[in-house]
Amino acid sequence: MNNKIYNFKVLKGILLSNLFAFVLIGITRYLELHPGVFVYAEFVIIPLVMGIISTWCWRDLQLKSRSLTGLSCVNGLLAIVLSSVFLGEGMICLLIVSPLILGFVITGTVIGKAMFKRDNKNLNMSVLSLLLVLFVADSVSDHQHERMVSDIVVIDAPTKEVWKHVVAFERIDEENKYWLFQIGMPSPVAATVEGHREGAGRKCIFSNGYVFDERIAVYNRERDLTFDIVSQPKDPEIMGHIDILRGQFLLKDNGDGTTTLTGNSWYRLYVFPLWYYDIWAESITRNVHLRVMDHIKSLSEKK
Amino acid sequence: MFAFTVKWLGFLKGIPGLALFFDALLKLQLFLLRPQLLSMLDEIELEVTSWEGISARTHKYGGLQFDYLDKEIGHLHSNGLLDILFSFKIKEQLREEGRIQDHHVFVNTGWITFGIRSKQDIPYALCLLKRSYLQKINGRPAQGYRSDH
Repeated sequence: MNNKIYNFKVLKGILLSNLFAFVLIGITRYLELHPGVFVYAEFVIIPLVMGIISTWCWRDLQLKSRSLTGLSCVNGLLAIVLSSVFLGEGMICLLIVSPLILGFVITGTVIGKAMFKRDNKNLNMSVLSLLLVLFVADSVSDHQHERMVSDIVVIDAPTKEVWKHVVAFERIDEENKYWLFQIGMPSPVAATVEGHREGAGRKCIFSNGYVFDERIAVYNRERDLTFDIVSQPKDPEIMGHIDILRGQFLLKDNGDGTTTLTGNSWYRLYVFPLWYYDIWAESITRNVHLRVMDHIKSLSEKK
Repeated sequence: MFAFTVKWLGFLKGIPGLALFFDALLKLQLFLLRPQLLSMLDEIELEVTSWEGISARTHKYGGLQFDYLDKEIGHLHSNGLLDILFSFKIKEQLREEGRIQDHHVFVNTGWITFGIRSKQDIPYALCLLKRSYLQKINGRPAQGYRSDH
């Protein structure tokens, strides 16, 4: 096979599969099947079918694993780049979504290779029909997920001292240990309050200058500070993907001069599948907690 | 990562497609970090599928399976692990050669694992597959077989 035909078939596989993906996403957006939510079907079934479509275009090329994997990566990366252009996604989001998209595009090529090797039209139609049914079923299903993440730190200081740094705290200057913060994801740096009472405004300031506006819902001195998130920044990394709903610090006097500090956060996710995105959401929330709570610990234990 | 997943998340392998997805991630990792190993796996596939009666297909838990007349002679995971079922006797002989290990899941069976890491490992991998192939041709039963693998 000459180079011209080879290149044409490779390009055809990449372009056709991406065209398929964007037309399908466009249709679901137009029909408003799941407004404001990115569903399992978009991150799993579409990449799978993209892999199958590209393998169909490349079925005469006798591609080996290395080339097939490489071309699948190009295919998936093009879809990711186009998503960033059309959907305005941030770099961290793209990084998080990459293993899922690339993994399922490669899985699609493996399935496609097996399908077209057998060349059983009934089997091929069955596989594609099943994927279509799954896509439609998932697209019209209700998607809601809210959860709480909780972390505990024991501080070698009395509750009275810890409380001073819980309500508001001065700037965090310690280096970030969490890899996502190190590569540019905003991390919390300070908190300010308008008053020490229920209903007072509180602001949590992040490293890139973004501010979460909060309102104190429970102000139980030296025991419980609970606040609702009134508005969160319009950051492409979080906008439309996660809403932080509520935060809470609970203090418990251990009776030996130490305090157990519990940090709780409630969030709502708008990206699915949960088995993938909830791991990230939990990890990020936990590291936001720990960054703040370690800071409170170090301020409280300062002699 | 492979050992951790197999040990702690292995029970999920029955979920349709999940093992294939995991294998695809192994392939992605290999492509990014050691692409030459993918070429070595291709080389093994090319050689083994040239043997009479051998066909290659996707292994049910991911990777590439080689069959002789619908009987498995061995399979290659996308991180370069080659798994083959032998009799206990042959497994012991191979162990004395010092290059194989117990299977990454089924330790007390005839299954062996050989990790392909460099070009020098290809002849030995082919030798193991050939041995299994010849065993199938001669119709010897594979002792120590675990049907759920």
